[in-house]
Amino acid sequence: MTAFHLDARTLAAYVDDALDDVDAWSVETHLDRCAACRADLTLDDPTRRLVEAAAVAWAAPLPPPGRVRPATRWRRIRVLVGAGPAARSAWLVAVALTGLAALGLAVSPVMLPPWLLLLAAPMLPAVGTALSYGSWSDPLHEMVASTPQGGLQIILWRTLAVLAVTAPVTLLAGAVTGVGTPMVWPLAGLALAALTLALGSLIEPGQAAAVVAGAWAAIVLAPIGEWAVLVQAGPVWLAVTAAAVLVVWTRRDRVGRRTA
Amino acid sequence: MSVTVSVRGLRVSYGRRTALDELDLDLGPGVHGLLGPNGAGKTTLMRVLATVRRPDRGQVRLLGQPLSDAVGLRSARRQLGYLPQSFGFYPRFTVREFVEYFAWLKEMPAAQIPLAVDRAIERVGLLDRADDRMKHLSGGMLRRAGIAQAIVNDPRVLLFDEPTAGLDPEQRVEFRALLRELGLDAVVLVSTHLVEDVVAACTRVSLMDAGRLVFDGLPAELIAAGGVGDSGDSPIERGYAAVLRDARTAAR
Repeated sequence: MTAFHLDARTLAAYVDDALDDVDAWSVETHLDRCAACRADLTLDDPTRRLVEAAAVAWAAPLPPPGRVRPATRWRRIRVLVGAGPAARSAWLVAVALTGLAALGLAVSPVMLPPWLLLLAAPMLPAVGTALSYGSWSDPLHEMVASTPQGGLQIILWRTLAVLAVTAPVTLLAGAVTGVGTPMVWPLAGLALAALTLALGSLIEPGQAAAVVAGAWAAIVLAPIGEWAVLVQAGPVWLAVTAAAVLVVWTRRDRVGRRTA
Repeated sequence: MSVTVSVRGLRVSYGRRTALDELDLDLGPGVHGLLGPNGAGKTTLMRVLATVRRPDRGQVRLLGQPLSDAVGLRSARRQLGYLPQSFGFYPRFTVREFVEYFAWLKEMPAAQIPLAVDRAIERVGLLDRADDRMKHLSGGMLRRAGIAQAIVNDPRVLLFDEPTAGLDPEQRVEFRALLRELGLDAVVLVSTHLVEDVVAACTRVSLMDAGRLVFDGLPAELIAAGGVGDSGDSPIERGYAAVLRDARTAAR
């Protein structure tokens, strides 16, 4: 690095192509050597796009070494959703068990009481969501949290994946128990997952899932015995979901990045 | 000199314990060493600059963008590379998938990703293991894979927390060469316990103690601070001990 630096006017004139050739050459010679002046170069948008396009064009003809996958939109979704914490396999087992239990109930109704399925099935999405991010379940949490996609975006991708896996199981559980409308079961699952995300902007996602699970168990097991009402209240679950989504949106910069 | 990282009045505390106390720091392009005893607040500073930890008070600007608003945060993160002190991995991922995962997370243009991924893996000397699963790598290789994900997006701000831990002497020499290369255009902040890394690779050095910045200057200036009577086996170790001692006497 040298003591001499180009002033802003010269740099601006260079960027605007307003210097004569000899001056431009000497500016370029200096820029080759001086990182500080290079950092002061502010390109306008068309020029920056041109430079980036040139960089891509230069790089493109080189043969990619090794097994490189083309970067398609599908590949992006596969990598972002496919990357997941190790705890996910345990959760998938829980989903599969619930599905089997629901099937078992369809075959012989005496095997287990319907409230057990009501306790477990709608909580599956919430637990899956909580397991898919956060410092205690994601080994890469710290690195992921420092990327532009690392906050709410990646968490929503993973929640979407979790909902896609659990929706059929929850629907099946609702259908075989015959408690309420089957469609309301996945809705309740969605609402509980959204509540977990909202609460997860305040406390650790794992704790958030535990709180939601506790509240859900208290409602289901309450001695009122009227839990059938729960699974008929579709609009209520939609309202809960909407409220939770609103909380998540207003606190979106804290999701996956809390103060502590 | 142009400033790309600027920190003003930064304060971070964990419960009652203050980790960073009214810290001011300006960094421009080049390799900056961050030294200090355990618990001095180096990792906390790294985490704040990496946008992982929100500061309790004070302002942080990366590349002119304040981290307090969502738009600035997102555009700063695109130009950021971060290697934490310890990190895990998804065991089923190969090295190439691991680096590719971060290329997508950093919102790189799709057309650049395949080549950028291989270039990053090549720069850390891991190309022959690129298709091996992460669970089959040694500790030093894992750290190099971590370095590869940090540099995949050609970041303008690079944060390495203890990057040479687990590397053998030969790899450390190679890593220092990579640091010097990266420091030509980017702000590279390296926190380390190994003072010889600082002498060999850093253009500037900062020393932290008890959440404060107690020294900021050239490596030669830190060396010059040490006297014959100071403890340490090398000139820079003596300088380190002297600056730390002076800072602690002044604080009392």
